[in-house]
Amino acid sequence: MSDNPGAPDSPPGPGAARRDRAARVHPLARFLIRRILLAVLMAWGITLVTFILTNLVPGDPVAANLGQRALGDPAIVAQWRAEHGLDKPLWQQYVIHLQGLFHGDLGVSQQSHRPVSQDLAEFVPATLELAGAAILVSLLLGVAFGVIAALRRDRAADHVLRLLSLIGISVPTFWLALVAFYVFFYRLQLTPGSGRVDAALGGAAPAVTGLQTVDALLAGRWDVFTSAVGHLATPALVLALYTIGLLTRFTRSAVLEVLGQDYVRAARAKGLPGRTILFRYVLRSALVPVITVAGLAFGSLLSGTVLVEAIFAWPGIGQYAYKSATTLDLPAVMGVGLVVGIVYLVINLIVDVLYGVIDPRVRLQ
Amino acid sequence: MATRSQTAAVLLAGALALAACGSGGSSQSPAASGGGGKTLVIDTSFDLKTADPGRTYEPTGLIVGKAVYETLLTFDGADVTKPVPALAESYELSKDGKTLTLKLKKGATFSDGSPVTADDVVFSLTRVRDMKGTPSFLLDGVEVAKTDDSTITLTSKTANPALPYILPNPALGIINSKLAKQHGATEDAQDKAEQYLNSASAGSGPYEIESFNVSSQVTLKANPKYYGTKPAYDKVVIRNVEAATQKLNVQRGDSQVALNLSGDQVTGMPATLQVKKTASANVIFLLANQDSGVSKTTPNAKFVEAVRKGVDYAGLLELAGEGATQAPGVIPSQLLGALPAAAATKRDVAGAKAALAASGLTNPTVKLEYPSELTVNGLSFQPLAERVQANLKEVGITVDLQPAPVTTALDNYRNGKEELGLWYWGPDYPDPSDYLAFLPGKTVGLRAGWKAGAAKEIEAAGAKAAVAIGDDARKAAYEDVQTKLNASGPFIPLIQPSQNIVTAASVTGLEYHPVWTVDVADLGVK
Repeated sequence: MSDNPGAPDSPPGPGAARRDRAARVHPLARFLIRRILLAVLMAWGITLVTFILTNLVPGDPVAANLGQRALGDPAIVAQWRAEHGLDKPLWQQYVIHLQGLFHGDLGVSQQSHRPVSQDLAEFVPATLELAGAAILVSLLLGVAFGVIAALRRDRAADHVLRLLSLIGISVPTFWLALVAFYVFFYRLQLTPGSGRVDAALGGAAPAVTGLQTVDALLAGRWDVFTSAVGHLATPALVLALYTIGLLTRFTRSAVLEVLGQDYVRAARAKGLPGRTILFRYVLRSALVPVITVAGLAFGSLLSGTVLVEAIFAWPGIGQYAYKSATTLDLPAVMGVGLVVGIVYLVINLIVDVLYGVIDPRVRLQ
Repeated sequence: MATRSQTAAVLLAGALALAACGSGGSSQSPAASGGGGKTLVIDTSFDLKTADPGRTYEPTGLIVGKAVYETLLTFDGADVTKPVPALAESYELSKDGKTLTLKLKKGATFSDGSPVTADDVVFSLTRVRDMKGTPSFLLDGVEVAKTDDSTITLTSKTANPALPYILPNPALGIINSKLAKQHGATEDAQDKAEQYLNSASAGSGPYEIESFNVSSQVTLKANPKYYGTKPAYDKVVIRNVEAATQKLNVQRGDSQVALNLSGDQVTGMPATLQVKKTASANVIFLLANQDSGVSKTTPNAKFVEAVRKGVDYAGLLELAGEGATQAPGVIPSQLLGALPAAAATKRDVAGAKAALAASGLTNPTVKLEYPSELTVNGLSFQPLAERVQANLKEVGITVDLQPAPVTTALDNYRNGKEELGLWYWGPDYPDPSDYLAFLPGKTVGLRAGWKAGAAKEIEAAGAKAAVAIGDDARKAAYEDVQTKLNASGPFIPLIQPSQNIVTAASVTGLEYHPVWTVDVADLGVK
């Protein structure tokens, strides 16, 4: 064994150094780096998939964007194609698209004639504000309801909450949006109408973050803020209802499962106060599956916004995506695809990281 | 054990719900109070691409263009049969119909205070023509020149009696050439001023653009330097809203104007709202392809006759709702040269069956292509297509429905590949000459596989109409073209759907206009 140059007494080789460095990196950091690298790879995959799918769509973008008469002039058609890079082979178009992406350039929208990035900067915050408010409400209510239902198992509160969650899951969101708009806005006159703020207040708070509520606070415009919150309330609650139902059910079963575990019974036998047991033992373990569900739910919230945005005339990414798709505005469609894909990636990343934080066993895998 | 956290959760939920309702209830729209805030909210389903007048060709864009830019001539209210002065105080068409001379009004200014000059006019019109945007065709072959500081001449190679009817199009709005040039405006395809014109206005109209967003909202503010009558509203918000929501908004007072309600949606409106029902200038028609390479069935003249006689026009009107009218010809009722209602085809099932028998076809099956999600004035094409299918079934023609999304369906339509097609045509400008496009070898004719030379008599009638001068001569000529088209052409005009505009009781002066839908500067407060 001592003849072996790799024996312990000889100087450590490059492999050992790597192992050493790796050992010095905190397992959580290593876990994070691995996840982020994976996310970057996935982001590249998204660009490829959106590009291919977008270019598979039947229909001619030239015809969709040039006027009927301009189409009759081959010179104009050729110029338009050249201007939008459509005269090049597909792979070259993809390379150009990728090069642009590295410079933060998503191309120019054929419908608005503005950089797609500028359009997205306008529409994405509106959707994030809506979906963000919805997920926040869902988390607060869904987890609370789930815990209550579990603790009150088979009693009246449990039955009521389970029924409510079943309704929340079963009712189609767009239908609920229509009904909510009709009932709260039109019949009861409790909520304000379409859009993000009252028409007369539009633009009163300068866009800083793009989130209307935050911008209103930054500008110190209380009237804009209340109007924005009012406009946000109904669509956000409508969007949240499904997720609330989902989270209630998952939290309930997760809490019930943990409550049956030996360590909880032991803690209880030791005489620890109920609150400590609930927050330190039960919720901590139960949160892992709940986070998974919440992450997935956020994704479905984003797609759910398309119809809700249409009904509440909410100027978000859903309306932009629909308009881009129906006018064959390829750069805009790719931009939307990329952003939505990246939002999903980020959520998955956050979910993974939260796992690691909550449950140390996950980091080691 | 967990009662405390439980209570906390319930309290939190309650607080959230209260917060949501409370803040919502407190924010009543100031616009809802009518004229008080002097803000007018118009809800419409956006069809908008740009605010650059020289590139505008979509209904919503034309509303914006009409408010922000002024044209040489315009129309008074809804009457499109007589152009009236706007930036030009008078006009005169030469006897041969080739030269239009316009005298500019004095004292007109742009929103930056500078005067509107003959040079601005020449630049604006030349720019529209030469940068080859969608509306460029409006001035095809028209030379624009300045004779002196207040005289403009437009010269066409052939007689162009339609020109005074074309000039009111908001696409031909006069822009502040100095300002526009500073922001990239040129008189050729290299023009780069669009982005600037999407955020600021360079016009002399009663309104200026405050904010512009193609997918959600356009805000206009009154132009403080406007030299004409000041508009009644300080601010006009045009929002992109679905038709169903439009209805609730206007009923609740959240908006004052709803532009896209269907006939069904405006029935039973409360008496507090004003409902204006007018036949729109859009004509929905069927086309039967004349190209034997596309179909063995539809080029048969007797087959087309069977379809023409087999359609139940009254049934289609029921679908379209009140205010809709049957289209007697391809030219809509508002325009000079429209056929009288009495000339419309009546349903004749026996006649249709006889025509089908004479065609020599037995149990023909044809494909009917149409845009599935397109709605015209709130009317969807799907039920229309289904009704036509049912009508023709009674005659013995099997119709195979082939719906497709607009962008896909348009490809086949524009390339003349549809066997039977269901489409509509809205006037580019309110002049019958726009409908010469339906003749053999022209835009719509070719889409029906109708090549030049395919119907010599109709083409001769069209050529005669194109150069006819004087209202009476033109009226007679265009009626003749349509009568001939109805007798043997491949088009079957169906209906003009109703344009239903609902306004709050406080809004006065609303007129439906076939080109720009509504002139916001004309609207008043009661």
